[in-house]
Amino acid sequence: MSTYIVQVIIENKPNISDPEGDTILNDLVLKSKNSSVKKIRSGKILKFTVEASNKKNAEKIVENICQELRIFNPLVSNVVIESKTD
Amino acid sequence: MSLQKHEISYIRDTVKRKLTNTELQIIAAEWSEHCSYKSSKKHLSILPTTGRNVIIEKGYDSGVLDVGDGYVVTVHIESHNHPSAVEPFGGAATGVGGVIRDILSAGTRPIAILDGLRFGNIENDTHARWLFKNAVSGIADYGNCLGIPTIGGEVEFDDCYKNYALVDVAAIGFGKKDRLIKNHATKDDLVVLIGGPTGRDGVGGSQFASDSLENEDRSAVQIPDPFIEKLIIETILEARNEKCINAMKDLGGGGLSCAVSETAESLGIGIELNVDSVHTRESGLSPDEIMTSESQERMLIITDKEKLPKLKQICDKFSVICSIIGHVTEDKMMHVKNGSDTLALLSAEFVARAPLLDRKKIKPKYLKSIKKENKMEKILDYSEIILKLLASPNIASKHWVFRQYDHEVGIRTVIKPGRDASVLRLDNGKFLSAKIDGNPKHCYLDPRHGAIGCFEEACRNVVCTGANPIGMVDHLQFGNPEDPEIFWTFMESLEGLAEYGKFLRVPCVGGKVSFYNETPSGPIKPTPLIGVLGIIDKTPFLPTQPIDGDYLIIIGKTKDELGGSEYFEYTHKFIGGTCPCVDFKDSKINMQAVLSLIKNRLVKSVHDCSKGGFAIAVSELSIFGNIGCNVDIESMPTTENLSSEKILFSESHSRYLLVIDQKNLEYTIQFLSKKKTPFAVLGKFTGDHVNIMHKSKNLIKTTVDIIQKRYFNGLEDLLKHG
Repeated sequence: MSTYIVQVIIENKPNISDPEGDTILNDLVLKSKNSSVKKIRSGKILKFTVEASNKKNAEKIVENICQELRIFNPLVSNVVIESKTD
Repeated sequence: MSLQKHEISYIRDTVKRKLTNTELQIIAAEWSEHCSYKSSKKHLSILPTTGRNVIIEKGYDSGVLDVGDGYVVTVHIESHNHPSAVEPFGGAATGVGGVIRDILSAGTRPIAILDGLRFGNIENDTHARWLFKNAVSGIADYGNCLGIPTIGGEVEFDDCYKNYALVDVAAIGFGKKDRLIKNHATKDDLVVLIGGPTGRDGVGGSQFASDSLENEDRSAVQIPDPFIEKLIIETILEARNEKCINAMKDLGGGGLSCAVSETAESLGIGIELNVDSVHTRESGLSPDEIMTSESQERMLIITDKEKLPKLKQICDKFSVICSIIGHVTEDKMMHVKNGSDTLALLSAEFVARAPLLDRKKIKPKYLKSIKKENKMEKILDYSEIILKLLASPNIASKHWVFRQYDHEVGIRTVIKPGRDASVLRLDNGKFLSAKIDGNPKHCYLDPRHGAIGCFEEACRNVVCTGANPIGMVDHLQFGNPEDPEIFWTFMESLEGLAEYGKFLRVPCVGGKVSFYNETPSGPIKPTPLIGVLGIIDKTPFLPTQPIDGDYLIIIGKTKDELGGSEYFEYTHKFIGGTCPCVDFKDSKINMQAVLSLIKNRLVKSVHDCSKGGFAIAVSELSIFGNIGCNVDIESMPTTENLSSEKILFSESHSRYLLVIDQKNLEYTIQFLSKKKTPFAVLGKFTGDHVNIMHKSKNLIKTTVDIIQKRYFNGLEDLLKHG
């Protein structure tokens, strides 16, 4: 068994609006004249420290937890699950 | 696309040419049940809609009531059931946003929100719990960000809402009568779209709401942005003050398609618009998507060329985007262009008026098989039942819900949520009392008397604060209207409401019909929800807690009506029995008696008897008053000889519990006897025990601290540890 850090990144699906990202872009970034920035998307990141036999299992455990406990709504958000050894 | 066969042939016969794709999309959106009311519109005219205080103006999305001294109150109710069932946080939040824009579109400032929430059984269903928690957070987030207090509502759980959610939001507005928007437009006026950019979210939302969730297309979720909404509110109100608005409509179900066609139709004008000019969130939106997108936080304004610079200036001040998307014509046509290409050219009246339907209705078979009597073994330990009921999700205190809402922002809230109705202070020195009520358990057993009961209950709650009911809004929620049995339940409820409204002379000033509320296990129970507004002319009635030696009086008769009661359904898991039925004459007499007693300052507090019956109502008085009581139900006014069980738990209507100071007792008794009001003095408040006796037998014996614990912790314990 080794310890893995599993990262879960949750963000709204591409077609679904993101008021937080839009606000940061329009009211902060563009107002300070950073016109090279075209889009900002906000999201949420969770870091799980998990003990598992391998990387794949560690990710599977976290994925199941997120689905079962409805940590995100699959209808609204996409998730990316990535892990690395501690 | 959800056009029906007869609609396709009606289009062919009327338009006499093949429709373009954009035209078909526009019509499919506008002719959905959600926007066109095609099943219900013919019948809704039976509701009484006029009255002394009602102001009717074309194109209003909300009811307007004159409250005197040059002020008006506006009110509207809407639901967001389908979106909330798939995305409870966003669905509930955008539901709040939508109804607030209806209030705004009359030119009044939204001052309060009430919400009615219904979910499946949260005791054993984790999905229902997830929906419930997130819908509450959504409402709290949106309302709190806007600085509009959520002053009340109700929450109910029933197995019929499994995997589904009913999220109803009512909003109240307040403003000066001479600043109401008098919707009008003349040729060459400009059509302006202000607010958030149009995106792909919610394309086809109204058609989605007019379908059962089984054929779900879950891409139709909408994302709330309360900060834009707040900016829109301030922009519109300033533009109103500067007289920049000739006419106004919010964009809700059906998006631009509905807003444009309905505005043109109600004002008798034509509108030519260019989809090219609509500000969008993403590139590559097709014109059809722009026309039917239900992106939130947008308003359609008609202004004229002279006032446009001022309007733009106001929009700039609040950083609200506005685009001039078209102009007013005289030809009464809805003309949609993309650059110089014509995409749609149809008569606005044709688009806005879907062919109405005469749905069949048949008395449902289930009503015949409902058992009238509960043959289950009687449970004799009433103390245990009381404790169980007080902690049950439908009766337990909902402070877990409303403490998440800011219910005081705006400093108008005089009576806060948690008791009967809530009361708001108005600028003209009067007070407004508001409450919403529903009861699907009663309505399932008897859609007519169940609906009347909801109406009376909302009136009762308002009367308990000393207010005279002046108007109501109804939200009629049913399953699929194509099923004649479901349509029968709709018609029964509607007729009941019309009958009681006419009798009481309380006009219906607004409302909504929501069909196709179906879950995978079948249609929901009929769920009409009634909101009632009342006015207190002078000083508000601030209830005071009972103290040692105060008397308890009940007004109203208790009947053999355990059907649909929490006692039957929660304790016995029995669906059946006789649904409570309102006696119109008693209803009025009792209401007037309570109002006179309050006016003459003879009562310390009034509480209505509803869910859980007398036993729960009297427990609640002890819970809130932090004092015990000794009550004997022997002298309870009844229509016939009733068992203890029935007296304790029957949910008969028109009943009020009064707390009376000893020095006023004699006078109160004389007054009630003179008015021929059925009443009885049942006991006294004292000590820290709740004792209820019948025929010298002790039925209930418990202590105040135990019932307080059960009542206040029931819901929270369930959510934390359930």
